Amino acid sequence: MLSIRDLVTSYGNIEALRGISLDAAEGEVTCLLGPNGAGKTTTLFTIAGILTAKSGAVVLNGEDMTRLRAAEVVSRGIALVPENRLVFPRMDVEDNLRAGAYSRRASAAEIAADVADMYRRFPRLEERKDQLAGTLSGGEQQMLAIARGLMARPRILLMDEPSIGLAPMIVAEIFDIIRELNREGVTILLVEQNARMALDVAHKFYLIEGGRITFSGSPGEIEQDEVIQRAYLGSRQG
Amino acid sequence: MIDFIQNTVDGVMFGSSYALLAIGFTIVFGVMRRLNLAFGASIMLGAYMGTWLHVHYQVHVLVVAVTTVACTVLVGIYVERLCFHAVRRDAALASMVSSFVIWMQLEEAAIHLLPERTYAFPGLFAAGSYEAGPFLFRTEQTAMLLLAAVMVGALHLLLHRTRFGLALRATSENPLAAAYMGIHRTWTVLCAFVLMSLAGGVAGFAILATDQQITPFFGLWATFKGLIAMMLGGMGSLPGAILGGLLLGVVEAHALWYLGAEYRDLSAFLLLFAMLVSRPGGLLGQRILSREELAFRRV
Repeated sequence: MLSIRDLVTSYGNIEALRGISLDAAEGEVTCLLGPNGAGKTTTLFTIAGILTAKSGAVVLNGEDMTRLRAAEVVSRGIALVPENRLVFPRMDVEDNLRAGAYSRRASAAEIAADVADMYRRFPRLEERKDQLAGTLSGGEQQMLAIARGLMARPRILLMDEPSIGLAPMIVAEIFDIIRELNREGVTILLVEQNARMALDVAHKFYLIEGGRITFSGSPGEIEQDEVIQRAYLGSRQG
Repeated sequence: MIDFIQNTVDGVMFGSSYALLAIGFTIVFGVMRRLNLAFGASIMLGAYMGTWLHVHYQVHVLVVAVTTVACTVLVGIYVERLCFHAVRRDAALASMVSSFVIWMQLEEAAIHLLPERTYAFPGLFAAGSYEAGPFLFRTEQTAMLLLAAVMVGALHLLLHRTRFGLALRATSENPLAAAYMGIHRTWTVLCAFVLMSLAGGVAGFAILATDQQITPFFGLWATFKGLIAMMLGGMGSLPGAILGGLLLGVVEAHALWYLGAEYRDLSAFLLLFAMLVSRPGGLLGQRILSREELAFRRV
């Protein structure tokens, strides 16, 4: 579905991505693992059109997205749930959701129906729909950020470290949401440092180190790899 | 007591146009976190175009009004393209300095357009007044208040009921997250400048139609009043801009009545000084203290 070939992205002279290739299959959760500064967020930003690739290609269902800008990428079905949530703090929950649908140019009735759909999926957001987003708890803000991403009706949802800065119990809740979304058929490309949690939801893993993919495989394969075990899963055998 | 009430009402009426000026500043400040110092001068040049038509062709006052607002918008777009769009995103100071330079350019343009500097500006009505009980109201100022109220109402609907308003608010809150939603920043900023100029053009026309004269210094005056009103209310806050404008108008009206005309502008600066000392963020500004600043205060 989403296919990335030899992607190179640089900040000035520093190459952050040195030729990344990966595939995210329809209906699956694909997880990008890796240490800080390895290029995980850069990969998502390049796919989303916030950064422009120097070379390589980003292709969604056969359509080349490499040179498109952020607004065009969103309207073609790739939505980003950013790291640290970045909800609009002084707008209420409902306006945050509407902002998520900005790229669609849908009618007011359609958007209202989708907002209602989000409330059904996330009842906690409905309870707080008139509250300013900045007054929500961290977990609720993450729910809102996910719901806001879904409001764009994406064909694939990019999620950048949804567990960051959240208490373990809330992290479990967020991963339940990811699992639930995936069961409903949402394709997800997930960037995570919390490999242990990701292991339960993802179908395919890519390990990115120093701007290169150094390993890829199924959850089973990743659990058998001793190096990854030691570095990312904090295994007891190591 | 009657004097006090009369002054307060007068102050609210005149303050309504300060509120519009402050709204103009605050819209663009919200979206860009930058001050457009050429704002007052853009209004002045727009009004000079109106005056020019009036002087040479004796056009109707409504034509002057439309010309003033339309030309203010055109000049606003010119300022945006030159000082804000063309200047790199992270160079906030460069934008402000270049908007100051354009201010000077616009003043020169106005002087060349109409070289005698002071011109009569047509009033909306023949100067008149009406009584309500013990109070006396000027017709032009009542019209100013109504015009400002209509503008604020329209702006509120635009910001809270339309897709464009949603984009503008989202960009003010977090430009990066707004970009992730597919909101075009350059387009939103240009539209913010158009809104700013609309508010400024209406305010400028209302004020000049009350004063019934115009000089090139109107630009400086409008920039001062708008900036002070915005800072009183809190930068980037629309309700703050309205409150700040009205407060400035009321304080000036009292100073004018009790202390004399020379204290009118002085009172405005004193008020701003008092506000910056007691509440640096303004009446409705965000609490701008970060954790580090709070910690620093305790050291």
